[in-house]
Amino acid sequence: MKRTLGLLLAVLALAALVGARQPQAAAGTISLDVKEHVLSNGLKILMLPRPGIPRVACYIYYKVGSINERPGITGIAHVHEHMMFKGTKTIGVTDFEKHAAIDRKIDELMGQIYREKYWKADGGDQAKIARLQKEVDALVASEKQYIVKDELWNLYMKNGGTGLNASTGNETTNYYVTLPSNKLELQMFLESDRMMNAYFREFYSEKDVVMEERRLSENQPGFFFREQVNAAFYAASPYHWEVLGWMDDLKKMTKADLVEFHNQFYVPNNCVVTYVGDFDPQKLIPMAEKYFGRVPRGPDVEPVRTYEPPQYSEKRMSGEGPAQTSLQIMFHAPPDGHPDAEALSVLAGVLGAGGGGRGFGQRGGRFGGGGSLGRLGKLLVEEKQIAVSAGASSRAQWYVGAFSFSASPRQDKNVQPEDLEKEIWAEIERLKKDGATADEIQKTKNRSEAMFIRGLTSNAGLAGRIGRAELTRGWRSILTDLEALRKVSNDDLKRVAAKYFVKDNSLTAIYRRKAGR
Amino acid sequence: MKKTLTILFALALVLAASGFAQVQKPSELKFVPLRYDPPDPKAFRTEFAGGLRGFVQEDRGLPLFNISATVNFGGLYLPKDKQGLDALMSSTFVRGGTKTREGTAIEERIDFLGGSLGFNVGDRTSTLSLSVLSKDIDEGLAIFFDVLMNPEFRDSALALAKPRLIQQLRSANDQPNGVLSREYEKLLYGDGPLTWRPTQKAYEAVTSADLKAVHAQYFFPKNIILVATGDFSKAALKAKIDKAVAGWKNKPVSFPAFAKNFPSPEPGVYFIQMPTNQGYINIGHLGLEDTNPDYYAVQVMNFILGGGSFTSRITTKVRSDEGLSYSQGSRFSYRWGFPGTFSGFVQTKSETVGFAISLILAEINRIRQDLVSDAEMETAINYYLESFPSSFESPQATMSTFANLEMTGRPMDYYKTFRDKISAVTKAKVLEVAKKYLQPEKMVLMIVGDWEPCNKGGDKWPGPLEKLGKVHRLTLADPLTGLTK
Repeated sequence: MKRTLGLLLAVLALAALVGARQPQAAAGTISLDVKEHVLSNGLKILMLPRPGIPRVACYIYYKVGSINERPGITGIAHVHEHMMFKGTKTIGVTDFEKHAAIDRKIDELMGQIYREKYWKADGGDQAKIARLQKEVDALVASEKQYIVKDELWNLYMKNGGTGLNASTGNETTNYYVTLPSNKLELQMFLESDRMMNAYFREFYSEKDVVMEERRLSENQPGFFFREQVNAAFYAASPYHWEVLGWMDDLKKMTKADLVEFHNQFYVPNNCVVTYVGDFDPQKLIPMAEKYFGRVPRGPDVEPVRTYEPPQYSEKRMSGEGPAQTSLQIMFHAPPDGHPDAEALSVLAGVLGAGGGGRGFGQRGGRFGGGGSLGRLGKLLVEEKQIAVSAGASSRAQWYVGAFSFSASPRQDKNVQPEDLEKEIWAEIERLKKDGATADEIQKTKNRSEAMFIRGLTSNAGLAGRIGRAELTRGWRSILTDLEALRKVSNDDLKRVAAKYFVKDNSLTAIYRRKAGR
Repeated sequence: MKKTLTILFALALVLAASGFAQVQKPSELKFVPLRYDPPDPKAFRTEFAGGLRGFVQEDRGLPLFNISATVNFGGLYLPKDKQGLDALMSSTFVRGGTKTREGTAIEERIDFLGGSLGFNVGDRTSTLSLSVLSKDIDEGLAIFFDVLMNPEFRDSALALAKPRLIQQLRSANDQPNGVLSREYEKLLYGDGPLTWRPTQKAYEAVTSADLKAVHAQYFFPKNIILVATGDFSKAALKAKIDKAVAGWKNKPVSFPAFAKNFPSPEPGVYFIQMPTNQGYINIGHLGLEDTNPDYYAVQVMNFILGGGSFTSRITTKVRSDEGLSYSQGSRFSYRWGFPGTFSGFVQTKSETVGFAISLILAEINRIRQDLVSDAEMETAINYYLESFPSSFESPQATMSTFANLEMTGRPMDYYKTFRDKISAVTKAKVLEVAKKYLQPEKMVLMIVGDWEPCNKGGDKWPGPLEKLGKVHRLTLADPLTGLTK
């Protein structure tokens, strides 16, 4: 376990990052001096020391997300993330065995309730369910004496942890906290403990919490429509469902599902831990060996099988409800790392809005911002004055990509989404023929590069970025992607526009505010 | 300027950890002490030509330059018939151009440089912020001060901003959370500058001349504090800024006086109908100002009650024990020159609205009756002490914080004394401020949700909601006209 390969990967000076038209940009002063260390159980540690405030951002990334689910257990990656805060065999409990005995009975009774409620078409024998539920309630009351509430959270907080949380995405799940420099051992203890000693206490009430979380999303104007559009756009690939999962699956998933999921994915060989901040890597490595090194290696994890098949037909959707009238045109695009991904990203930059602040604030009126309009905004908002906003975005994910145009019509002029659709298609045809101007392309590149540098200011942000990148194409890809972006030419833009922006590859979604709202 | 942060911290760091035996419980972990002294605002305070003040920190790590100007002017300074001027000012301050530059040309150029330039009007301050690569400092500064000193608010920019803002008004009642926070403040603060909202007519009436008049009234050196951080030499930057603002005249200004007598709304339930599957709930009354000496004890008390996330009582009870909600807790909000609000809050499915409210009310009563535990005190106080350096992780945020202290006239040793004041809070003091600043008999309960199922309740708390107090059904105003049908 001492194969300290302390790979010293020095200096990726941003010298090269700065474009030919910006030769004087403080090149050479920046480096990402990430040190790598791999434990014998396969767990990888990335360390980026940055002297300064005595704190360290700690991120632990697992290569698992909603795309690793299947119908029946959608949402489980996220439910599991919640459950990772509910204690382990050592944390959150005073007497593990005594508690576990009660907990097993609860699981058994809940299993019977689920069979009644969810296996029977008529919803089961209500009297029986009520009787079983009463037994469960009594057991839940009696298990409380052994539970130490939210002990992990408490330990992090009273030791000065900030930014404490976790998040689940389509592809990854991460657990993060920023701690004082002298308390990294606490993070190593707690994170290795919940990797190897996870125990899913209070599972049924926590599922209720997750269902409330889903309801919060459902009450966001336009949520149901967006969820359906996404599901229609991805017919086969597991990006079809939201990270939150379908309500039916949240109700019916079991503790056994959760254990199986944990054992498959929460293994050190499916995990990357990153530290960015004020610390000494040479002192961190032995500590990591000691804590993370004790977790046994698990079986290899197979990549996702189902890619999105070609569509071969145009899709259209329409809906109405309590949100702003809008149009979206989506195209399937290649995944992260594909040679066309950077060209599509530049294209989105050319078409879409500039700096922050533009677009729709939910915070009432007192808000504004800079940034010039992209090409679509100039055409539809400024020149023709038929839209209040118009833009484009490109999203390359691990297995699929999407390029999307969106716009909202001027309601005061009674402009319809279909009017904007025609304008956007005319613009698409112009792109295929002429591409963008040299100025538009250079501006987009400059912006991406500057944004990249700005992204380096936050330790937590950087820890997250290198960790996430490491799980797919290696952390260096955040730098090589920028290199690739610099090389994008106008011919590339024309080529990718012609290749991807075709009707049979599209979904058009039109949403209208319900009359009277 | 590099020697600024006096970070005296034990070099031993994690050294002691290596080679130790595996601990079995987190309580066995031993940490090397770590000492940290916060930066002193005096070391960064700078005065420029014309009495323009600033907080400036060199930060050579990355080739970036950030500068912002915070002006003592905000939406609250506007009379009732000029509501909406603030939002339009936000939208057109940059886009409206200057005497010598077209707004679109400014935006294009900043964009081309990969920078950002934005303006925002808040309640009592407005801020213009620029971020560019440090190689573009000179060009950035030239644009920044031209915009700050000479905005033109051209009609073309106004003509584009108005329909966008009016369309936003149409969305004002879409979000249950947005409706709740707006109506809650309206109930607690009553009719006044804090709760006035623009209407379609108000937006339409704002002219370029109105905007210029406000700019002429409030934008001058002595009414502004700059914040600058990044890859530059402080002396060189000072010379550049002095030159840029040379000749910018100060003028007398008076700020509106604000009435601080707020209504006492009748306690009880205030219900707003929306077809959602959850009730969005606030429980409370007005709070206090952060200049109040009790502020520190209130922070600790609220951390234990519902501010300290999973370590707090409301979260433990409502979420962790009962699984009733994803988001719940309690908060004291603060605003410059006014008491903020206190609210216990939760969002839960309609049938458990009454139950969740009853649990929160029980926790509010409990913290008013009994001393909190030693363990709760330890967690709360240690959180504030141990996480304290995180306030200074970003130079830009640190300088902004100092500028904010100066702007609002709070003591400049606020951070220097913060930990001592938190440490001095006792259990008895927590009980005292709980009794003083939580007053159940004065609380209003506001619910945004679907009336029938919320009122019906569920097994653990059957309705009607009247059990919680007199029920007032509120009707929302049409956001376009401000009129209630």
